[in-house]
Amino acid sequence: MSQPTAPETLGSLSDETPVDPNSKQAKAIAGRSPMQIALGRLVRDKIAMVCAAVIVFFLVVAIFAPLICKLFGVSTDTVFASQYLDMLGGGMPLKGPPNNGFDPEHPFGIAPQSADDNLAYWVYGCRTSLTIAASATLFASVVGIAVGLLAGFLGGIVDKVLSFFIDLFLTIPFLLAALTIAPILNDRFSLNDNYALIQKFSLVAVLAIFGWMGMARLIRGEVLSLREREFVQAARVLGMPTSRVLIKELMPNLAAPIIISVSLMLPAFVAAEAGLAFLGIGVTSGASWGQTISKAVKYFEEYPLYLWEPLIGVVLLVLSLNLLGDAIRDALDPKTRR
Amino acid sequence: MKRNKPLALVAGAALITLAACGGGGGDDEGSTGGTDREFGDQGAGTKDEKLQGPAEAIEGATEGGTVTVYVAGDPGPNSLDPTEGWSVLGNSIQQALTSRSLTQYKRGPDGEPVLVPDLATDLGTPNEDYTEWTFTIRDDATWEDGKPITGEEVAWGIQRSLDAEQFPSGPGTEYSKAYFEGGQDYNGPYTDKGKAYDAISFDGQDVTIKMSKPFPDMDYWGAFMAMGPAPLGKASQPPNYGQDPLSNGPYKIEKFTVGEELVLTKNDQWIADSDPARHQYVDEWIFKFDQDQAKVDQIMLSDNSDSQTAIATSIGSDKYKQANEELGDRLVQQTAQCVSTLTPDYTKITDINIRKALAYAYPYNDMWLATGEVPGVTRVPANSVMPPGMAGKVDGFQPDGEQITFNPEKAKELLTEADAVGYQINMVYYETDPLAVAGQKQLTKGLETAGFKVKATPIQVSPYDIWLDPENKINKTLNLRGVNWCSDWPAGSTMLPPLLKTGAVYNTAQFSEASVDDEMDNIATLPLEEQADAWGALDEKIMTDYFPIIPTAFRNDLFVFGTKIGNPSGDAALGAPNYKDFYVMQ
Amino acid sequence: MFAYIVKRLISGFLVVVLVSMAVFALFWYGPSKPAQAICDRETSNRCGDRIEIYQENLGYNNPIYSEYGKFVKGIFAGREITFGATTYQCDAPCLGLSYNTKQPVTEELVSRLPATASVAVGGAFLYLLFGIPIGVAAARRRGTVTDKALVSSFLFLSSIPYYLFALLTWLYLTVLWEAPFVSDVGYFSPISDGPLKWFGGLFLAWVALGIFGCTQYTRYTRGAMVEALSEDYIRTAKAKGLPARTIVYKHGLRAALVPVVTIFGIDFGILLAGTIFTERIFEIQGIGWWSLQAVGNKDLPVVAATAMFSAVMLIVSNLIVDIVYSILDPRVRLS
Repeated sequence: MSQPTAPETLGSLSDETPVDPNSKQAKAIAGRSPMQIALGRLVRDKIAMVCAAVIVFFLVVAIFAPLICKLFGVSTDTVFASQYLDMLGGGMPLKGPPNNGFDPEHPFGIAPQSADDNLAYWVYGCRTSLTIAASATLFASVVGIAVGLLAGFLGGIVDKVLSFFIDLFLTIPFLLAALTIAPILNDRFSLNDNYALIQKFSLVAVLAIFGWMGMARLIRGEVLSLREREFVQAARVLGMPTSRVLIKELMPNLAAPIIISVSLMLPAFVAAEAGLAFLGIGVTSGASWGQTISKAVKYFEEYPLYLWEPLIGVVLLVLSLNLLGDAIRDALDPKTRR
Repeated sequence: MKRNKPLALVAGAALITLAACGGGGGDDEGSTGGTDREFGDQGAGTKDEKLQGPAEAIEGATEGGTVTVYVAGDPGPNSLDPTEGWSVLGNSIQQALTSRSLTQYKRGPDGEPVLVPDLATDLGTPNEDYTEWTFTIRDDATWEDGKPITGEEVAWGIQRSLDAEQFPSGPGTEYSKAYFEGGQDYNGPYTDKGKAYDAISFDGQDVTIKMSKPFPDMDYWGAFMAMGPAPLGKASQPPNYGQDPLSNGPYKIEKFTVGEELVLTKNDQWIADSDPARHQYVDEWIFKFDQDQAKVDQIMLSDNSDSQTAIATSIGSDKYKQANEELGDRLVQQTAQCVSTLTPDYTKITDINIRKALAYAYPYNDMWLATGEVPGVTRVPANSVMPPGMAGKVDGFQPDGEQITFNPEKAKELLTEADAVGYQINMVYYETDPLAVAGQKQLTKGLETAGFKVKATPIQVSPYDIWLDPENKINKTLNLRGVNWCSDWPAGSTMLPPLLKTGAVYNTAQFSEASVDDEMDNIATLPLEEQADAWGALDEKIMTDYFPIIPTAFRNDLFVFGTKIGNPSGDAALGAPNYKDFYVMQ
Repeated sequence: MFAYIVKRLISGFLVVVLVSMAVFALFWYGPSKPAQAICDRETSNRCGDRIEIYQENLGYNNPIYSEYGKFVKGIFAGREITFGATTYQCDAPCLGLSYNTKQPVTEELVSRLPATASVAVGGAFLYLLFGIPIGVAAARRRGTVTDKALVSSFLFLSSIPYYLFALLTWLYLTVLWEAPFVSDVGYFSPISDGPLKWFGGLFLAWVALGIFGCTQYTRYTRGAMVEALSEDYIRTAKAKGLPARTIVYKHGLRAALVPVVTIFGIDFGILLAGTIFTERIFEIQGIGWWSLQAVGNKDLPVVAATAMFSAVMLIVSNLIVDIVYSILDPRVRLS
């Protein structure tokens, strides 16, 4: 389930027909940069565009979470549970779903047992999910790119050592490692005043520590082949400092693999965050989709909506990110289109 | 007695409760059709020292069948060594089915527990000031290998209970060590190997125990399986003995997998005539530990062939409504003889009005809902430390005139009166458990609504690790703690001193009043028949005069029985299903 | 060839040692008081000062290297472990004693292996059973509507988080609809409970794993087949007039399978290492379930042992795949 992504093996979904290089169309696009070409391909991919729209929606929800909550008049504040729940009726809501139709004060209903507002928790759950996934992606990418660049460019003993570490980390089962490390970190920091924040950071750290290898491998491979190309050789002969060669000459050529990698890393992290929370690890204070799912499982018969709301959130977000990532890969790397 | 549950699964507010056994039990109200369940009058515990075997037959009982007991969210005992047993779950099974001791409980006609003889021929003979007790072991009781149980084996078994190093979680650490003569200095037959210990002696079938101070409750203490026999020498060497102890009850251990399963089969060497309270109707018992509550609920509510001969020791609060409507008298409510409390630090929160304000600021129903309880059913409002049904409890008194409920206005008034609006409360909660987190949210909201300021620190270890360690850095900063406590037998002596005596381990309120301590010491020397009322009066006096502890709830358990389980009922002594009297309808 | 295998074996062994050291150190330096869990359990949460006894017993006051030495020695020669007043014998290969049950971890690990192995074998079998034929079919129909429909529906399926897919399967098929045959999930011993019960208990888990995992194999197989079918020797075979069936299966598939089989080897290792979600959702009491439980109970020796076991499974499967691959495809050894 935590398979390193292997971008070179995937078939394509793109509807685009191969372009004859001598046609009018081909001439018209001549003079555009590869990125522009890719973007053009992407825009024409209907599925990709639908996915992008869905992702934008989730982004908006995450960014404007407080505003949205205000708009609907809901909040994640604790309320006295007994005022809203049927005490002898299994702690089910007195108003609204599942037993009493729609409740305009709580459009998504309220949670059994705790009477928390589902919409507010959903919106903030989205925020948690995206912040954690995005930060983990950022950290993992930076580490992955750095390791990959160094290993690929310097070669020799550095490459051997770094490659060994890449392989070493790949052999550690991610889920088990996360399960083990997260409670230890919590134990260490639970007395800190910023505990809630530290908890998020430690989750990001755990995700990033076990998520950078795919990127590092990919970059290393690319750099290995780029290193022997004429323009790099030329730059070195001219006496350009290594750091400049790396940043000025190599990086621009690595944009495509990095974008592909990042676009596939994001959904993996969103899924991982929710999965860990489902298992009871990760964010315990505050809202998290996975946490709500694990609470809601036992109510799935009596109150299916409670389960389906966060579930649809996770599935839709991960699905869209995955499909968009796939489309980006196809657009950037036409070789994969067969 | 503690309720053994994996920490992750237990609500922080309802963490491990220590001590059980005791109390009355108006249960199996038998209400059908979704009416609210009410408690009957709690019959206080009684004694019947003349009762002899065989146990009175249960009307309509038939022999045979296998009963499966589903235990949700509790891994069960680690060890079956009788000396080690101090959990409600383990003791309720072993005491009823496999391990006999000096005395035992029988379910009385109104569901109240009656203390009756077990291996001893009567309830023991004390000397005048209860500092020496003699029990005569009956001649016809046998081990599962057919050998008779001797006085020497009983004396040996009792001596084992003094070994606090070997059995650190055994109940002997609390009672044998404290009351037996020289118990504080003698570390038991394994740790102090070869050292002589003469407070426990035997002469033929007579076993005599000398006490260091008056111990009028020795007959109750005798109902613990730690006060039973063990095979001499190597045969009972821990830890191996704990995996497969020699049975002497109506059932023997067929298979035991820690944390998973216990299978018991008929012990054909058990002689019915030697046992005044146990039956042997069922052929086989299968206890399945650590089950998923939702799965158990599903099995029990489906009434298929698997569930007809099954028992569940709990039901999810989300399924309570359905169960109450569908199951009728197969859903049994049983008092657990337990109290949940909040304990304000008596040395820091010195104003009684602030302590009372806390009681009014505690959102009772909301807490119970959020922590997965059924308000008014599995948790009922409490008025003092002694649970209902305990002998001597003063019925109906209220420390503050009427039942304290969540009333932030009243709390505010009290705080204003004490000139302490915005009083800072420091507490901890067990963050690993989602229910504890949900409960803490409600509590914080309640306290803040009433005008307190709250700092709740999340911790990763059991709160008891913090609360019970006087040297702990966090503990020193706290001014609000909590304890859940169950009685070990139906006498005030197992409730008040452990929680409210100066320096007692579980006195997390740090309560200390010399007059109260003196009264506690005094009660133990009173004539036996006056003690119960004296405890009740002290209970009332403490709550009215000092209000040092906030009793938040008395606890009840819900048991679910399959349609073919005969005589569905609870065991009031332990707050467990009444395993002694079940049969399978054929 | 031989030198390559020796080289891989040595590096594989090195990784095992490193991982075991890392896990050991994690549990050594990680928790603020590693013995807290066992002390709480033994004393019914009245640990207090006794924590020092347990810290001392379990060697947490000694330097880490000497304790790691004892741990390694325990694996080969067994050792004695003391909890409080009692000393337990832990026979080789000793991975410690569970804080919860005080049973040797190795014994419990072995007793839970059949459940996990059953899941792994069945799931992996379905990976191939579904994955390869569908992949081949799609490759043969490349560019057609069927191909597109297959590829896109599989892409869609594999984009859903696996555990949610499994959770829904379980909730609806087993719990709500009580579908025949899969209504009693969990691991049952094929010997004492009968093979039918074993099969029924695991069936849903296999199908969920299989359907989800096979999407990857469909992609791999399709990709590899497309490439293989465009090779010159296939054209030659076509030119010879060989029947299409022979060309696809005998010539094409054989070449295409090499990369697929290697990926399969690694996946099988991952499955053997413990399928936490699958076991948690379908109530299979295998190694994954056990490790999850141990994390909840803070049963450090069990968590450490399962982590090491999983890592070893992954390392060994990687090693086997590398070696097998080097035999199948000599180019690898040269790089």
